[in-house]
Amino acid sequence: MLEARLEQAALLKKVVDAIKDLVQDCNFDCNDTGIALQAMDNSHVALVSMMLKAEAFSPFRCDRNISLGVNLTSLTKVLRAAQNEDILTVKAEDGPDVLNLVFESSANDRISEYDLKLMDIDQEHLGIPDTEYAATIAMPSVEFRRIVADLTAMSESVNIEASKDGVKFSSNGDIGNGSVTLRSHTDLDKPELNVDIELTEPVSLTFSLKYLGNFCKAAALSTQVKICLSNEVPLLVEYTLAGSSYLRFYLAPKIGDDE
Amino acid sequence: MARTRSTKAAPAPKKASTDSKSASSKFALAPQSENPSKLFILPSKAASDARIVTLPNPRHSRPARYLVCPETGIYEFTKVAAPKTTPRSWLIETTPASTGADTEKDDTQLKAETSTGQELYLATAIDPLFLSLPALAEIKTSKGSGEQKRMFLTSDDHFEKLPEESSHLSEILRCPKTRALIEARMGAICDTVEAGDETMFRLNEKTLVGVILDKAKKMSKGGFPLSMDEKFVKKALEAPILVQKREMKGGELVTGPPDTDSQVSTPQIESTESQSTVASTETTASSVSQPSTAATSFSEGQVTTDSIVSAMEASPEIVQLQRLRVAFNFICSNYVAPTLAAQLQELLATSSTDFSPLDEYHSKLSKLRADAVTSRSTGDYSRKHDRDEEEDEARAEKKRKLEEEKKKKASESRGVRELKKVNTKGMKKMSDFFKKK
Repeated sequence: MLEARLEQAALLKKVVDAIKDLVQDCNFDCNDTGIALQAMDNSHVALVSMMLKAEAFSPFRCDRNISLGVNLTSLTKVLRAAQNEDILTVKAEDGPDVLNLVFESSANDRISEYDLKLMDIDQEHLGIPDTEYAATIAMPSVEFRRIVADLTAMSESVNIEASKDGVKFSSNGDIGNGSVTLRSHTDLDKPELNVDIELTEPVSLTFSLKYLGNFCKAAALSTQVKICLSNEVPLLVEYTLAGSSYLRFYLAPKIGDDE
Repeated sequence: MARTRSTKAAPAPKKASTDSKSASSKFALAPQSENPSKLFILPSKAASDARIVTLPNPRHSRPARYLVCPETGIYEFTKVAAPKTTPRSWLIETTPASTGADTEKDDTQLKAETSTGQELYLATAIDPLFLSLPALAEIKTSKGSGEQKRMFLTSDDHFEKLPEESSHLSEILRCPKTRALIEARMGAICDTVEAGDETMFRLNEKTLVGVILDKAKKMSKGGFPLSMDEKFVKKALEAPILVQKREMKGGELVTGPPDTDSQVSTPQIESTESQSTVASTETTASSVSQPSTAATSFSEGQVTTDSIVSAMEASPEIVQLQRLRVAFNFICSNYVAPTLAAQLQELLATSSTDFSPLDEYHSKLSKLRADAVTSRSTGDYSRKHDRDEEEDEARAEKKRKLEEEKKKKASESRGVRELKKVNTKGMKKMSDFFKKK
């Protein structure tokens, strides 16, 4: 049986919000280390991997490995009933039919309880190896979201070029072209605004802006985002959550046709 | 032939006495009789010693009932019955007065009963030659060879060949009058040779065809029953109807319907005559056309007034020939064994009556009909209804799928839907980078 209590419902709300536009149905795999999720979009060019470690919950109890097949649109509907500050408890039996969600408002003793029907989802799990990336860029998640939004106006894809000068996001579209270049920047007062570029070799890759825009919905989860690039390897966009929990997005680069 | 109402006057030997005389109570229903009364209409001229006998049917050689009267000949029974879907019954009332002549030995003054058997048996005269025909033609049918094999035989030898099973032929032949009658009719279709005091018979097909043809002529002259005429003569000769005007060609095809011809054409002549007298300024060409046959002018009149015309119409001669042929076929199909009938059909072609105009007409007609069918098939919408049903099914299927899709869409976020439209060209699948666990 699973019983996990989140101090703030906002975390789950935001995670699901960030994933629901990429994935329709997915399995929440629960074991004693926490709740994990891995899913691909319909085209299988992007992958989302989430890990909510047991420490994120207080308390967390999971006796057996449980797979919770959930339709994310339905889960979103249920979570909409929860306030950000509500205490959220998810419960499920072993071999469950439903996922039980309880929202407790600490301000007024309001308790709402929902049962979400589960479904059987046949999903393949991919083994993602630990990769040494050629370029790793840490930047404010809001900055990344802004760059993606701005360049989406120009084109459907963006070229990310990391060199010793900095990282350049450039797009070439029908109405013209545009680019944003970031250099390493350290703000001592506000470390969340730091831009940190680690480079072992220059990289230049092209990605779909639509997908990146989708990833950026997770910006609410974390002030910083880590972008990892290597040639011929999917881009990794990682949002660090409380503790060592994370939400990672992988996206296959566009190869061959530049516009 | 007066209508006589009688139960079986003299039951055939094999038949059990039919009239079970149940003294019926006024109130209780009498038990159902095992042999319910049957209704016959017998010729009044038939003598009292007429008998109902069983003889082999000339067509299929199975036993059938015949009324044999030594004075007036042999009668066959025609069953008149309504279809089973419209059940009827007879109320039979026998009064001493009406049954006085019959063998009814009644002790009740008045007897009435109902019969659920709705059949009415009508005795009609049959030419005895048909009864002897299977015997006369027997050799040919069995050995299937030429005329020379057929031998002159005495009538007795011929009769022996008839199936004897449940046949009363030998009994009725004992009556000299009946025997003479049959032999006389046999003579009409056979070559005969006198051998001593006996007459030897051998079937002559040509004479037989002649005799049947004479019967057919008689039959067709008297006119067919309306339903028969409609089905076998009018329908068979009817040409497909053409909507557009069609130029008439060939004098014999231009005639109007044969039965109305004489009546309609007469006023037509009068009208043309009156026309010519009134309109004296008409051109010579039109006055030349006036003496044309009444039939032609009639058909012309029809063409101009009607845009819907038959492609061709049969002349009275052709109708007459058709009637004759139908009559001949009718007789053959009723009284002559199939194998012999086929032979007779062949012989008919070489007979004195020339059917070639009719054959010509039929070949033309079949061509016209084929043409009409092909021209119609292009504009044939009769199958449209079927297709409609299929379409309905397809539409329902489509609707169902659409609803399913809608449901699926509801479970899918806007973002997911929009990602489907994203151009993923040049992007490899995740499984190309990461191996399955």
